[in-house]
Amino acid sequence: MTAPATNPPASANDTPALAVENLSSGYAGAVVVREVSLALQPGEIRAVLGKNGMGKSTLLKAVMGFLPKMGGVVRFEGTDATRLPPHRIARLGIGYVAQEKALFQDLTVEENLRLAVRAPDFAAALAEVETAFPFLLKRLRQRAGTLSGGEQKMLLMARALATGARLLLVDEITEGLQPSVIDRLAGVIRDARARHGTTMLLVEQHLPFALAVADRWAVLDRGEFADAGATTEPDAHARILRHLSV
Amino acid sequence: MTESRRLSMLFIGFLLAAAVIGAGPYLLDTYSVNVLTRSLLYAAVALTVDLLWGYLGILTFGQSVFFAAGAYAAGLVFTHMDFTPGNAALALGLGVGGALLTAAIVGWLAFWHGASALYASVITLVLPIVATQLLYTGGEFTGSSSGLSGFTSFDISMEGWFWLAGGFLVCVTTLAVLFVQSDAGRLLVAVRENEQRCKYLGLDTSRLKITVYLACAVIGAVAGYLYAGYAMVVAPELAGFVFGTELVIWTALGGRGTLLGPVIGTLIVDYESAQLSGDYPFVWQLIIGVVFVLVIVAFPRGLLPVVADVPRRLFRSFLKRPARPVASVRLSTLDPALTQGEAPGDGPALAVEGVARRFGSLTVLDGIDFAARAGELVSLVGPNGAGKTTLMRCIADGAERSSGRIVVNGHDIGRRPPEACVALGVGRKFQMANVFETLTVAQCLQIARVRHARPSLWRRAGELHLPESAMHVIATTGLDRQLGTPAHLLSHGMKQALELAMVLALEPRVLLLDEPTAGLTKTERMQIGAILIDLARRQGLCVLLVEHDLDFVREISSRVIVLHQGRIVLDGSVEEVVNSELVKQVYAGSGHAGIQHQAAGREEVTP
Repeated sequence: MTAPATNPPASANDTPALAVENLSSGYAGAVVVREVSLALQPGEIRAVLGKNGMGKSTLLKAVMGFLPKMGGVVRFEGTDATRLPPHRIARLGIGYVAQEKALFQDLTVEENLRLAVRAPDFAAALAEVETAFPFLLKRLRQRAGTLSGGEQKMLLMARALATGARLLLVDEITEGLQPSVIDRLAGVIRDARARHGTTMLLVEQHLPFALAVADRWAVLDRGEFADAGATTEPDAHARILRHLSV
Repeated sequence: MTESRRLSMLFIGFLLAAAVIGAGPYLLDTYSVNVLTRSLLYAAVALTVDLLWGYLGILTFGQSVFFAAGAYAAGLVFTHMDFTPGNAALALGLGVGGALLTAAIVGWLAFWHGASALYASVITLVLPIVATQLLYTGGEFTGSSSGLSGFTSFDISMEGWFWLAGGFLVCVTTLAVLFVQSDAGRLLVAVRENEQRCKYLGLDTSRLKITVYLACAVIGAVAGYLYAGYAMVVAPELAGFVFGTELVIWTALGGRGTLLGPVIGTLIVDYESAQLSGDYPFVWQLIIGVVFVLVIVAFPRGLLPVVADVPRRLFRSFLKRPARPVASVRLSTLDPALTQGEAPGDGPALAVEGVARRFGSLTVLDGIDFAARAGELVSLVGPNGAGKTTLMRCIADGAERSSGRIVVNGHDIGRRPPEACVALGVGRKFQMANVFETLTVAQCLQIARVRHARPSLWRRAGELHLPESAMHVIATTGLDRQLGTPAHLLSHGMKQALELAMVLALEPRVLLLDEPTAGLTKTERMQIGAILIDLARRQGLCVLLVEHDLDFVREISSRVIVLHQGRIVLDGSVEEVVNSELVKQVYAGSGHAGIQHQAAGREEVTP
């Protein structure tokens, strides 16, 4: 089952938005991600699934420069980002939605947004937030730390979208969200991609969400890609489940 | 390293150090022996700074005051009374007693509930300033700014003082090393790392801090007493914050959190300072200052870790063996008969009556009323921001709620702090994994057991007994293969599992779980779910659970409470609640089918 319209917008040249070649990374002597390669076309949404501790978060942290790369190359729109520190990588136009401790707890919602949005037009960024999660505009003066766990996740995603990043690395955004918000989030992500052509790499545990949002999926097993495919393939769900339950 | 090997290494170190002290006077000139006697006593005080700052995380500028307490006790008694053995003992008693009293007052001010680390540091900074002022205003009694001198003291030779000071230092250092490496000593690091988690594991962290602070005060006072006996002069500078700050600098230079580093650092710096001040009376402080800055810039961890790393690195490249964390602890399951605890009573295990929580004008919870029996597994569902986590917090900490009453196992929790609620049987798992990041998995679990198995002050247990449920979680998630891994290297889901195991190790009667399976795969969730059902049914725990996965909720709950905008809107059986219109409206959305629907309709939004 292939629906041409579900493919990401084709770009004029063939430079991938994100190209990762033979990337290895990990912590103090322990290699967690082993020679992983992937290429995301501009506007593509890719979901990375896998059991716990298989290296999903490590992959994102290594791409973002938070963990040392023990080998391999990372290119963003053709620019070599392998050796750049995280803040330089962020300035290239890559947004990172981390799983833990990603908000400034003592700052207000608005301050959190202002710190992340580098563009001069803050009103446009706020409009982006309103499109995603309108309730946040009513809470601009509230301290981010006093939002509930799920609300913090929503702020995190809205903030990433408001920065106008061309590539988003998203780590388990659905964790702690109520089902109806997960529904909404799926729409928000597809909509953002449709309007801005944002490329996204999503690490997920929530299989239905991942399949609904992404164009392609990949399963990470002990630091290596064990399987991959298009989310439109009818057996995608079953194949992924098989990997997750072994 | 095995336990016996550790103890024998320590004993060998003790003998070597004692031999060095014993040989010192025969190898050194008189001047050096004289200066080093002072340095050895200063080093004992620097050791207490390291215990407090390097291990417990309390930056203290006031350890000089305890040194001065011992010194002035000797100076005052020997000046104003005759020198007799009885009076010498009296002086030591007064010095130690005065230090203890001061430390008790300061400790109570600095470490009582709600005081921050910065606040504690400020108090320790104020302490020497106040103490110096008191000495200044003492007139002839304390000798004011010139201090006390010319009093009679013990008739001991210079070598004798060196051996006395050195022996004292070697003994307290050995005991300190023995203690910080022990199971009890690890608590210091745990408190520094994550005091909140310690409290929710039922540990009275304030009391622990004050106890260590008191012990450090005693060490400082004894060192000061020896100092006055040997120098036969005491001055207000001994109590001053300049000396207090120097102790901090020596500790930082030598290597904070290593005990030996600060001791050696103090010996070198104090001895060299004395040499330089003789040779270069005008620029010596500049030289010392430049060296300080260079060392701190080049080696932020201090000198000892760098020096100790050299042989370790050589050794490693020689052996070509990567350093693998090895757990020295074996896990074993506690006899279930021992973990049953008291039989659940007839009354509700948990009763929440009219609980409200307000932040200023914002009401987060209002009129929350429900009771849950032992053996019930109650799921708390509701939209994000409905107040679920706030309710958990109110049950686990008496200071949290604005009004209402909470009764756990028949006891009103009143305004009890978290550690007292744990004693009543409450166990809380946080929403975000909350463990001790720098400790290993096994060590985290050990700390969770401290309430039940009193840790040794000098030994490390080779075996850790855990309740069956905690062992199940550990085996299910594969944590048993990672016992030696520091917690910060665990994946997010593994951290969640570790925290769950830690909370279960408390043997709670009322278990509060805030999204216990977030970050775990569906399979792992179902396995954890089975463990929870078993806990409730077989062991009679009352489990209150926040979850968003309605399938999971349906699978394991015996009852569901729906919270919406701070109020309970539904309370009933799983089928009643999960299929209700209200839940569909405010919570569930269109469900997975909805996502699929959107997926099918994605053509419309894709250009």
